[in-house]
Amino acid sequence: MGLRFTRRDFLKSMTMFGVSAMLINKTEIVKALTQSKDYWHICWLNGATCSGCEVSFIQHTDPDLIDILTSITVGESGLPIALPDYMQVVHPASGSLAMEFIDLWKEAKEKRRILIVVGSVQNPGFCEIGGRDFRDLLKETSKFADYIIAFGSCSSFGGIPRAKGNVTGAKSVSDFLKEVGIVKPVINLPRCPGHPDSLVLTLTSVMIGVIPVLDTYGRPIDFYGTNMHQELCPYRPFYDRGIFITKPGDYKPGEEGCRYKIGCKGPIAQTDCALRKWNEHISYCVEVGAPCIACSEPNFPDGDTSPFWKEMPGLPTILNAPAEVWGSAIVAATTIGCAVHFARKMIKEKKER
Amino acid sequence: MILIPEFSIDPITRIEGHLGVKLKIERNPDLKNEYIVTESRSIGHMFRGFEIFLKDRDPRDAVYIVQRICGVCPNPHAMSSVQALDEAFKAVPPPAAILIRNIIEGFSYLYDHLLHFYILIGPELGILTAHLPMVPPVLGKEGIEKLNLGSHYAAYIRYGRIANEVQAIWGGKFPHIASLYPGGVTIKPTLDKINASIVRLIPLWEFVALVMMEDVKTLLNRNERFKEVTESILGVKIGLENIGVGVGNFLSYGIFPEPEDYESDWLDPSKRRKSLFRSGFWSKGTFSTFDERKIKEETKYSYYDSPSGLHPSIGETSPKKGKTGAYSWLKAPRYDGEPAEVGPLARMLNTFGTKWEVQRIHPIKGEDYGPVKYEVRNPNGSVLDRTVARAFNAMLIANKLLEWLLDLKGYIDKPVVNYKDVPVNASGRGLWEGPRGALGHWITIKNGKIDRYQCVVPSTWNWSPRDDRDRPGPAEIALTGRFKPEINAVWIPTISVSKLANAIAPKLEIEWPTRIEGWGNILETVLTKINPKYTRINMETTNTGELVNSTIPLLIVRSFDPCLACAIHMMMPSGKEVILELDHHH
Repeated sequence: MGLRFTRRDFLKSMTMFGVSAMLINKTEIVKALTQSKDYWHICWLNGATCSGCEVSFIQHTDPDLIDILTSITVGESGLPIALPDYMQVVHPASGSLAMEFIDLWKEAKEKRRILIVVGSVQNPGFCEIGGRDFRDLLKETSKFADYIIAFGSCSSFGGIPRAKGNVTGAKSVSDFLKEVGIVKPVINLPRCPGHPDSLVLTLTSVMIGVIPVLDTYGRPIDFYGTNMHQELCPYRPFYDRGIFITKPGDYKPGEEGCRYKIGCKGPIAQTDCALRKWNEHISYCVEVGAPCIACSEPNFPDGDTSPFWKEMPGLPTILNAPAEVWGSAIVAATTIGCAVHFARKMIKEKKER
Repeated sequence: MILIPEFSIDPITRIEGHLGVKLKIERNPDLKNEYIVTESRSIGHMFRGFEIFLKDRDPRDAVYIVQRICGVCPNPHAMSSVQALDEAFKAVPPPAAILIRNIIEGFSYLYDHLLHFYILIGPELGILTAHLPMVPPVLGKEGIEKLNLGSHYAAYIRYGRIANEVQAIWGGKFPHIASLYPGGVTIKPTLDKINASIVRLIPLWEFVALVMMEDVKTLLNRNERFKEVTESILGVKIGLENIGVGVGNFLSYGIFPEPEDYESDWLDPSKRRKSLFRSGFWSKGTFSTFDERKIKEETKYSYYDSPSGLHPSIGETSPKKGKTGAYSWLKAPRYDGEPAEVGPLARMLNTFGTKWEVQRIHPIKGEDYGPVKYEVRNPNGSVLDRTVARAFNAMLIANKLLEWLLDLKGYIDKPVVNYKDVPVNASGRGLWEGPRGALGHWITIKNGKIDRYQCVVPSTWNWSPRDDRDRPGPAEIALTGRFKPEINAVWIPTISVSKLANAIAPKLEIEWPTRIEGWGNILETVLTKINPKYTRINMETTNTGELVNSTIPLLIVRSFDPCLACAIHMMMPSGKEVILELDHHH
């Protein structure tokens, strides 16, 4: 047995360092939560979604879903601390009984009800659950929710269903709540799908009483406070030296290069994918030779984020990015990187001529 | 007027997407006057409109966007899409790319088939066969350890994750991979990636071979017990092979090509004899060669006024709300005019016929655990046959994956892409198999942008409405009970799940903490512990006020592994009719 790490210790470290404390103390999550004396009730609603966010959530480890449901229990009760009263994709009950569990959640103890939403909110008639429009269900449950978490890009910002040309009027949970006059904060955990760490750690943080610090788009800065390209990308040195992959997959083994020229949207992506990676921290899009598609950003999959395989318009976009994203030093570094790239390109073209 | 009893199950959980079904029931004199379903109607509840917002995008965006049709099995959509682009770009992928695509898709199949077997349909199967490891772990860790309650269900969470780790190795992440590109892939084979994949394959292989296949044997044995129970209640032996009996036509496009025979065997979908699963149309014992031109979409009962009987490559989607006689936003795809079931059973029948045998030789240790054999019980399809077929699919793929991974070592320095620029004007098709069945994407590119994108997905085949000749779709047929000339017992018991369970295993007992006897009493006790409401699980109230048990239709629905997000991706804006329809639900 190591040192006893009490809930108070954990809370203290959380208060000091925010959610990022858990990046170090992840194995302590179970211990800290087990000392809690009360249940947390979760209602997990699906709007216009592909269910990828649920599939992503169950990829979480340490603790995994089974740990969450069987080990992190309240006292000696044997019951999980986080009771998923309703979660469509894995719920044992179907039909009228499943709907009753949503009501059960509403009646749960105050300050203990968490609403998790995946999928975007569309105009009436495009998404129904148990004979009720998803909009009505969301409106009603939001009123009871003590905390609302939008997991994945669809519920955070509208995501793929909100793509240009859509006919459903898809929008984010926060925009919908504004529209129907409900004033409640929403914690946005975008990415497509949502990253399981972001959900588990945010849930844990809420349960032990620490509300994550959010950026202007409602995203916890612990996950979305870094720029992929500027701060985290392991291929950044190639960019600075002007070494680029120019055709996807078409380069010699062992040769590497920055993915900017094949469309990488890392420069506009506020995510920690390069560091955190996916599926037990194995890999992420850029590592397999593909571009980042900036799925964490409010305008995904349009605006600067696409076409996915086309080089971004370059410097102007970077310079036009919000000031809080780009410190002057960062811009300077980018300018140098681009300058090197253009210089090399010119030398190369000259040689070819 | 006598009210015909009917009830709804809505929402149906543990499927992909939003689905409800409405069932009319009738007492059947051949089954001791128990209820069977006489008419079923399925209603899809979500529309996003993928084909609409794909228009005018860069064609290469499609590979990413179509994965978001379904996050449960995104890879098959990516694979169909990239093959449609391969064809349009005139870029035949090199063998290394085919191997890598096979490996990604192979692990995706293992994750997906196991998910369905243990999480989506497993709970119902576990209850009906009193097989404790397949029931959710409702008594937590202790219940898993002491009673084996939910042990396999819980284990799946780990093994499914391992399979997805390999998808991340080759695809960047799962769900929603990133490494496919027209003409190949973007990722290079390296020894460390191959080894990391093999290390993960071994425990997965063991889980499929020694847990899943053994569970299949247990289900087959317990099915005999289930028949004794049904005989005592219904007066007739009804097994899982007599439930959810389908149309008897089975369509497969084939999947997992041989890398070195890609051009000669794979590119023409009517060949595909060397792929792990073959293309073909198997109907009542007769196999015929697959012909893509025989796919037509009919619209008599669909809310579209576009011409009926068009091939998807020239298909039109022009919505007509309130069209007389129509009742579905799905079109009715037909093959050579016939409704066709797609999925694991269709792949098995088209590749191996009705007698199957799969080896279980440990890929590293060489130990032989003995083959598993099966002869199809119901050639028209059933809950049992679909479930067993899914497990056989998984076992065959688990066996093959080591071969592909070792083969890939020979391609370490070989190209992974046949790079081509985006064509100005072109078209292509990608015919592939999702875990749920035949999947086709058709693309037309104009001025370098997507002009037209059409998908005909597995759940459209299985959940299609009636066609121009008034013949129902495969799932509609499977959800409609009949007794003659063949049995399809879509039985609706009026007793609770616990009472039914008690009849199935009256002698089963556990110590928790004191002795509880009878499977139903055990269920009742553990469910009450979570929440007393759960003792009413699967019970629905009919419009005539009677309480009925929906377990059997739920089992049938899930045996098709429906993916509603996929099926409804192409539906046009939902109309008032659908909303009114929904208002009838309680």
